[in-house]
Amino acid sequence: MYYIHTISSISNQDSFRNENVYASLREFDAENDVVAPDYKEFIPRNSLRRLSPILRMGLTCAMECKNVIGKDFDSIVVGTALGCLKDTEKFLNTFITSTSDFLSPTAFIQSTHNTIGGQISLGLNNHAYNMTHTQNNLSFEVSLIDAILCINDGKKNVLVGAAEEKIDFLELVQPNLISADYPLASGASFFAISGEQQNSKVAIQAVDTNFRSKNVEKEILAFLTKEKIDLKEIDLLLTSGTELNSTTFSNKNINYMNFTGLHFSTSAFATHIAHDFLNNNDAKFALVVNDLCKGNLGLTLLKKG
Amino acid sequence: MKIYITGYGLISAIGVGEKETLDALKNERSGIATGKKEETKAYKVGEIALSNEELKTKYKLRTDGSRTALLGMVAAKQAFEGHLISDEIKTGLISGTSVGGMDISEQEYRNYLNNENHNPENYKHHSSGVSSDQIAEELGINDFINTISTACSSAANALMMGARMIRSGMLDRVVVGGTDSLTSFTISGFKSLMIFDADWCKPFDNSRKGLNLGEGAGYIVLESEKSLAITKKQPVAQLTGWSNASDAFHQTASSPDGQGAQLSMLEALKVAGLKPTDIDYINAHGTATPNNDLSESQAIKSVFKEVIPPFSSTKAFTGHTLAASGGIEAVFAILAINNGLLYPNLNFSEVIEETQLTPQLSFEEGKTVKHVLSNSFGFGGNNSTVILSRVD
Repeated sequence: MYYIHTISSISNQDSFRNENVYASLREFDAENDVVAPDYKEFIPRNSLRRLSPILRMGLTCAMECKNVIGKDFDSIVVGTALGCLKDTEKFLNTFITSTSDFLSPTAFIQSTHNTIGGQISLGLNNHAYNMTHTQNNLSFEVSLIDAILCINDGKKNVLVGAAEEKIDFLELVQPNLISADYPLASGASFFAISGEQQNSKVAIQAVDTNFRSKNVEKEILAFLTKEKIDLKEIDLLLTSGTELNSTTFSNKNINYMNFTGLHFSTSAFATHIAHDFLNNNDAKFALVVNDLCKGNLGLTLLKKG
Repeated sequence: MKIYITGYGLISAIGVGEKETLDALKNERSGIATGKKEETKAYKVGEIALSNEELKTKYKLRTDGSRTALLGMVAAKQAFEGHLISDEIKTGLISGTSVGGMDISEQEYRNYLNNENHNPENYKHHSSGVSSDQIAEELGINDFINTISTACSSAANALMMGARMIRSGMLDRVVVGGTDSLTSFTISGFKSLMIFDADWCKPFDNSRKGLNLGEGAGYIVLESEKSLAITKKQPVAQLTGWSNASDAFHQTASSPDGQGAQLSMLEALKVAGLKPTDIDYINAHGTATPNNDLSESQAIKSVFKEVIPPFSSTKAFTGHTLAASGGIEAVFAILAINNGLLYPNLNFSEVIEETQLTPQLSFEEGKTVKHVLSNSFGFGGNNSTVILSRVD
């Protein structure tokens, strides 16, 4: 078991420092990308100016996790499919349009995917293992697998999360990246996990990835069989919009995309919802089903107790 | 548990595959020259002469993709040659890249800005994960696919992730390494940082001015003992040590004492169960920037103390291939182990004043090379070390 000790999310929902994200889910707010906390509480004003939304969100969620658990992380694992898009676009503009030999390097420096992890290591003055995974809609799941390996390797306090940022340009190209019909959004969710239970009530029992997924229903059932759990025991199914046969899958279920909006790492926030559902209800198991990109299936099983 | 290496492949400015690469290393022939393309012609770069179409035809690639993906396919196919896909062996691909499909995206974005022939469909190659999907498809691998993007340490981290997944039993066999193509994005980026040498780069030299960029890909195949029992492959080396640590000093610059680099080298030695004196050769990160080489030299001195093994940077042969470098240099390490080689550090004339370290200066054969330590350091203070060892 990989116990969740705290979660910090910034999303389209009012999720930051919210003890029960599940209970307060509301319709997606098309007017606002995310409900942002006051970043100045976490990031010095002079740094804040330079940081793009994805860096602000990632760093803030990481710092909040650190503040809550009060211990240093001995592993930091970040997932992001498209990474620091704002700085990437900014630097593309800079070098394509500039006629000067002198370009500002800031956007380039902050355009690499691991700027999020790098900023977290700097912000927390942390010298530990620091990894960045980028695997389309499964960026969060492969990061969770790495985090689980860290715990199996003996690490005590692992920070794992995912972050994505929306830029306007994405509206133009989105159908070529993901074919899903939801409004584009940003979001970040970070989890402090460890192999020790302490005060934690909810754990990640297992994570599975499938890169040649053909029949989601069969694959869910095979996964549950492997985990020795009957489908009936799943109290909440969270899907990325996949239609499951309602006779077989008669469990309570939600399409989390309706709450997150569209980005590649929405399953991270779905895992937050699943955690809060288990934590605050008389329920034992929740399953996050992520097949946002057809053929690539991620399954994350959460358990209470 | 031992992690065996049963295949390797590479493509860089000094050649495709083992034979061409060894020939260049032996004859001290650098692949760095004045660029031949519009975006590279103002620089000294380690450019691969073959165009995308030539790569596809010559290496019979069935899958389309960005240049990053195509270079990756060429190297990964070499590494995986003779390996069969089997239901009994859970096989994955873990690939490092920093630019992904940027070579296509930047061209398309230019069209967008110029308001001409903008075709959004071409961004389907953009994401780094897609380039790994394409390489995996070319190899027929689909049990597990993952991409690591930690800038210049990406491939080394892919090796590390692969080894850990095998050790945990999640995978039996995994193709690991990295790929990056030259793009205007990275060229302009390093130019903005003002860390290019307009001339040939001079790793570990007192008068070094900066790096030369390169492109390429390098992959190796890792197998568990269980997998070996089925594939009956002859291991060519072992991956014995790995580590990643954060410098936590600056987003792009390394700390003066190379704290992250020290941590990563020490931990990799610990994982391998080796003492510093067991290392026969260090393939340094050695980008030839004033900052990296000083910081890495300090870190090497503090880890290896008085007995510093032969070390060199091979970046003056290939250029800095960014996310691919750890993969290409892992193949160099395997070749060093199996042929008893030490590689020269080209363009060196004077020791760095502060550290007084002289790298390996000539190509040597017939040495005993049992353990090679290979460093890869990336932006974000991301420091990685892998250790490759002879199969005993």
